[in-house]
Amino acid sequence: MRPWAERQGQFAAALCNVEHPMPPGCIAPDGLPDATRFAVYRNNVISSLIECLQASYPAIERLLGATCFREVAFRFVAEAPPRSAVMLEYGAGFAEFLAQLEPLAALPYLADVARIERAWLEAYHAAEATALDPAALAAVPEHRSGDLCLTLHPSMRIVQSAFPALTIWQLNIAATAPIAVDLPTVAQDTLIARPDAEVEVRALPPGGAAFLNALGAGETLAESAALAGAAAAEFNLTDQLTALLGSGLITAGRLKRRRTRGH
Amino acid sequence: MAPPLSPSPARAVGPAARAVPARAGVGLKAPHYRTILQTRPDIGFFEVHAENYMGAGGPPHRYLTEIRSRYPLSLHGVGLSIGADGPLDRTHLRRLAALNERYEPGLVSEHLAWSSHGGIFFNDLLPLPYTQRTLQRVCAHIAQVHDALGRQILLENPSTYLAFEESTYEETDFIAEVARRSGCGVLLDVNNVYVACTNQGWDPLRYLQRFPLAQVRQIHLAGHAPDQDGRGAPLLIDTHDRPVSALVWDLYAHVIATLGAVPTLIEWDQHLPEWPTLQAEARRAETVLAASPCQEAPRHAAVG
Amino acid sequence: MSNRSASLLVAGALATAVAALGASAAQAGMPMNNANPRVRTMAALKSGKFQQCWGVALAGHNDCYAGPGTTCAGTASRNYLGNAFKLVPTGTCTAIHTPYVTIAHGHGSLKPITETGA
Repeated sequence: MRPWAERQGQFAAALCNVEHPMPPGCIAPDGLPDATRFAVYRNNVISSLIECLQASYPAIERLLGATCFREVAFRFVAEAPPRSAVMLEYGAGFAEFLAQLEPLAALPYLADVARIERAWLEAYHAAEATALDPAALAAVPEHRSGDLCLTLHPSMRIVQSAFPALTIWQLNIAATAPIAVDLPTVAQDTLIARPDAEVEVRALPPGGAAFLNALGAGETLAESAALAGAAAAEFNLTDQLTALLGSGLITAGRLKRRRTRGH
Repeated sequence: MAPPLSPSPARAVGPAARAVPARAGVGLKAPHYRTILQTRPDIGFFEVHAENYMGAGGPPHRYLTEIRSRYPLSLHGVGLSIGADGPLDRTHLRRLAALNERYEPGLVSEHLAWSSHGGIFFNDLLPLPYTQRTLQRVCAHIAQVHDALGRQILLENPSTYLAFEESTYEETDFIAEVARRSGCGVLLDVNNVYVACTNQGWDPLRYLQRFPLAQVRQIHLAGHAPDQDGRGAPLLIDTHDRPVSALVWDLYAHVIATLGAVPTLIEWDQHLPEWPTLQAEARRAETVLAASPCQEAPRHAAVG
Repeated sequence: MSNRSASLLVAGALATAVAALGASAAQAGMPMNNANPRVRTMAALKSGKFQQCWGVALAGHNDCYAGPGTTCAGTASRNYLGNAFKLVPTGTCTAIHTPYVTIAHGHGSLKPITETGA
């Protein structure tokens, strides 16, 4: 008899590919193979994975319509089946998959909306962290405040888009009937985070994404502010710090040792 | 007193007992979280799918922590792939062990099935042939889980839609032998008995006679959907999307009359009803449990 | 801008932010402005919105159908594939006009857009 590993391989191959014949030796009580019975498993696998994507990407489903979404999701499942049994993590890479689908090229904002939805899900399940009390930063000497390195909340995600992705997302998660909208021409950067119980989604001001990306990469406050200022002249450091600290999105701060001495 | 007010602590040991009582419980679902916390229903225990709580943090853990502090818990894994030929996913096993530590469930269970092969997870409970080879693999995997968790787990009988022609064991004998060799307990899913027996042309009463009832530590009840196979034979689908069927209730009463009271879970996973409907199903199970000749039977009450 | 003036700018911004938050934290009526989640949660509790403590109870998100996702449960046996649908979006994207693309005919419909058959 064929080893179990090989039998599993046959079964697995036929699950993933609907063109593939059912594995041999899978029988009904009458001793004969029955494709309908095997199809129950295939259906469970494909349907449940599509449903996971539906649960994770409701705005994309609304934008595409249910039929189109199922077809897109089916193709994604076939190309990128889960590698882990933790389904709340499934669906990373869906945005990139959407971006390269030729028939959806007319909807160039779709991938960025999917990135917002993915970030939402990741923030929802992210680790907990306690916000830094802003008062703790009052103790930082004035001449050293530029050397501060700030730790961002582990749930924080940033989606930068050349399109009004946040507005499109917002329009499509409300359960109201779709309305015709003319969207502004502006690009939108979005901040997604869950500092406490609720996932918060908001637009970032110009330079905000550059600032947070720099902080997240471990740059100092001075370096991050300089990068943000270079990205957008109107970047306002005071407003950004107030919003971040006020929302509980900074969890720690430390002073980076200066390379050059000088008091 | 911080628990309700802060992110979940690393351990969630609450005042609620660890042991799962020989009463009816229900599967814990997100849409019912708030009703449960607000109304504190009289339910024997809650069961969760382990994989749904394998995220790092967030509302699922906050709610489960809160609910665990008030009710006993059963942890039901659906993704370990114990029936696969290949090795268990060690990362997954570590995550399961972490949940076991954190929530101190009274019962931990998994399935006689496989769901991963070649690095791909299929998100379904897939069937296996019952042979010497698969018996060895299943027993080795259960030993590994016992080591990792430091406790006994229960293995659930599957609902199946087809059989493998190479099988050399009857399903009941296979499960009995797994329990004997590995020392695991058994989770008897009565709906799965009915579904598998219908789909495989077996007699459910004979199935239960041959089943290792002495090792049963928990029972599952759920609804199924009727369908038929390619040649018109009845084919039941284990949908968990409706009330428990009358015939499954009858089989359940038969099991309880034989076995005494055992912790019993109402599984309802799709097309979730409002909370009162679910609670009514649990009450119905409790009336069956209450009629059992040895409802106090402590040996079934908990596995620690 | 010199390093020194940049450094002063950062120091000023930080001081202003900390001071602003110190002031608003004292105002119990503005829980969202308080950086301390515990204080915010207490405020939420007082306001009667106690669910705040635990957050949105998300049903869908891969609580996976909580069943099959966890597929202990099956689905009816024949629905896994409609025959070869086409990748034609029929959802609300037809109502969105960006300067980059115009999808719908004319200027979009104000009526709910329904599915066309597969």
